Amino acid sequence: MTATPVAYPVARFDDPHMLPLAKNPRRTERVVGILLLIGVAGFASYGGVYWVGGQPQLEGIFLGVGLFGFGFGLSAWGKYLLPQGPFVEDRHPFASSEEDIEAMTSAVVDRGTMVVRRRGFLGGLLAAGSGIMGIVLVFPLLRSLGPTPGKTLETTNWKAGSHLVDAQGNRIHRADLEVGGIATVFPEGYTADNFSAYDQTILIRPVKYPFVTKPGREDWTPDEYVAYSKVCTHAGCPVDLYQEQLYQLLCPCHQSLFDVLKGAQPVFGPAPRPLPQLPLKIDEAGYLVASAGYDQPIGPGFWERS
Amino acid sequence: MLTRRRRLFLLPALVVVGVAVVGLLSPGAVARTAASTGTGATNALDPPNPITYVKLPKSYIAPGEQLFLSNCSSCHGPDASGTDNGPDLVGVGPATVDFWVGTGRMPLGNPAAQPVQKTPRLSNKKILEIAAFVGSLAPTAPGYPDGIPQIDLKGASLSTGFSLFVLNCAACHTITGSGDALADGFSAPTLHKATAVQAVEALRTGPANMPHFGPGQLNDQQVADIVAYVTGPIQHPNNAGGLGLGGIGPVAEGFIGLFIGVGGLMLVAFWIGDRT
Repeated sequence: MTATPVAYPVARFDDPHMLPLAKNPRRTERVVGILLLIGVAGFASYGGVYWVGGQPQLEGIFLGVGLFGFGFGLSAWGKYLLPQGPFVEDRHPFASSEEDIEAMTSAVVDRGTMVVRRRGFLGGLLAAGSGIMGIVLVFPLLRSLGPTPGKTLETTNWKAGSHLVDAQGNRIHRADLEVGGIATVFPEGYTADNFSAYDQTILIRPVKYPFVTKPGREDWTPDEYVAYSKVCTHAGCPVDLYQEQLYQLLCPCHQSLFDVLKGAQPVFGPAPRPLPQLPLKIDEAGYLVASAGYDQPIGPGFWERS
Repeated sequence: MLTRRRRLFLLPALVVVGVAVVGLLSPGAVARTAASTGTGATNALDPPNPITYVKLPKSYIAPGEQLFLSNCSSCHGPDASGTDNGPDLVGVGPATVDFWVGTGRMPLGNPAAQPVQKTPRLSNKKILEIAAFVGSLAPTAPGYPDGIPQIDLKGASLSTGFSLFVLNCAACHTITGSGDALADGFSAPTLHKATAVQAVEALRTGPANMPHFGPGQLNDQQVADIVAYVTGPIQHPNNAGGLGLGGIGPVAEGFIGLFIGVGGLMLVAFWIGDRT
């Protein structure tokens, strides 16, 4: 295969396509010069400001001036002062000739067949190795995807007798919250190093009169304290935007709205289930205690959730 | 018609201005200052309580009653026990009244609207007189302050205030304190206009839809820490990049980035690629 020689005409400065775009190149050159000078000044000032101690906004402005000056100077140089073209370079044909293609194909096919037939043992080894490695590549699915979730999706660290504590680990006394108050609480012993986001629970004292969130939960709200899991049943965000006058909890992620006095039943938004309620009681010393753990998995749904 | 030389300058100049504006507006990390060292709590064995509740003089009650009758009683009733248009004020204490009237939220023209902060309609003395009158109607209910708070922020810790703010306040008021929408047409107001006293009153009385934080939950020192953080870094953020764009997050920042940033790049690309 031989490349077709192309004749390149010798460029001449008075060819029309070798002329710059600018009508008055001297004046344009001056403009470009000014832009580049602005750039130089910008870079120098940037360095100067840094040298004398630095000031972020000034440094940014001077660096910007430098880069813009150079950017526009170089662009204008290329656009207005370089030969405007157009330049044409003919290319030789890409495709090979019919005979070349024919010869190549037959050579590959014939020789390939011959090689594989003659070395059947090596071919077999190649196939065996590939097959085994193919199976081995599936192994990570067995053991390398981390521990199985086990029971963590189903249970939390709340159990019967867990004291409610705040984020610092202080127990919550029955007198601590005012009517209209809220607090984020954890089971005692699971705050500092043992912290688990599944445990976060929102404790609310919504009203002055006794209320029942759902039939069968009559004794879950002593002293008008009520506690719900803080993990949204939709996507697991912390639900803690409490609207005190409306007794509603709002989830900040997708605006699910839960009715606190009615068992955190969702009244708006994408949440599919109420927030699980934590049954409370008050111990002899007056501290709030969980009388049992959550009676259902908290948080968003998952594959085996009934 | 612009001359060729003017046009040579026009687009670059436009773009320089545009990008400079982006540079100046690009928000610095507002929260970066958050974890910076606080002034540090004093090591004194018995630190003085940073908040004192000052009782209002008895002489304020009589003029306060007149002011109440002319400004408040149409909704709250002449004895402040509430009507269909306004809640019962008996027992809420003087600090509650000081907050509502002092932030301009009361008196309210339309009882159905959510009260928003505006310039107070009454002078500070008159506000305190109304507060004294309402406070005199009944003993203040438990959990509500019995006087007007005075706060000393000298020993307050900014770092403790920051973590308490994140835990208790940022959910509704946002991490920059700019406030945000809630459900049912309500919204959490911005904290940028609150004074230290108003912040204490809001925490201690739980106005409107805000939860009520009593001394059992946040002690006076913790309240002072939060107030120091609100009146400090929240209200005077250190925006290293220039302006903070209101601290309302990706909407404003994305708008500036797309409209001015990408728009500027398009102008440049147009100028470079244009065959004159």
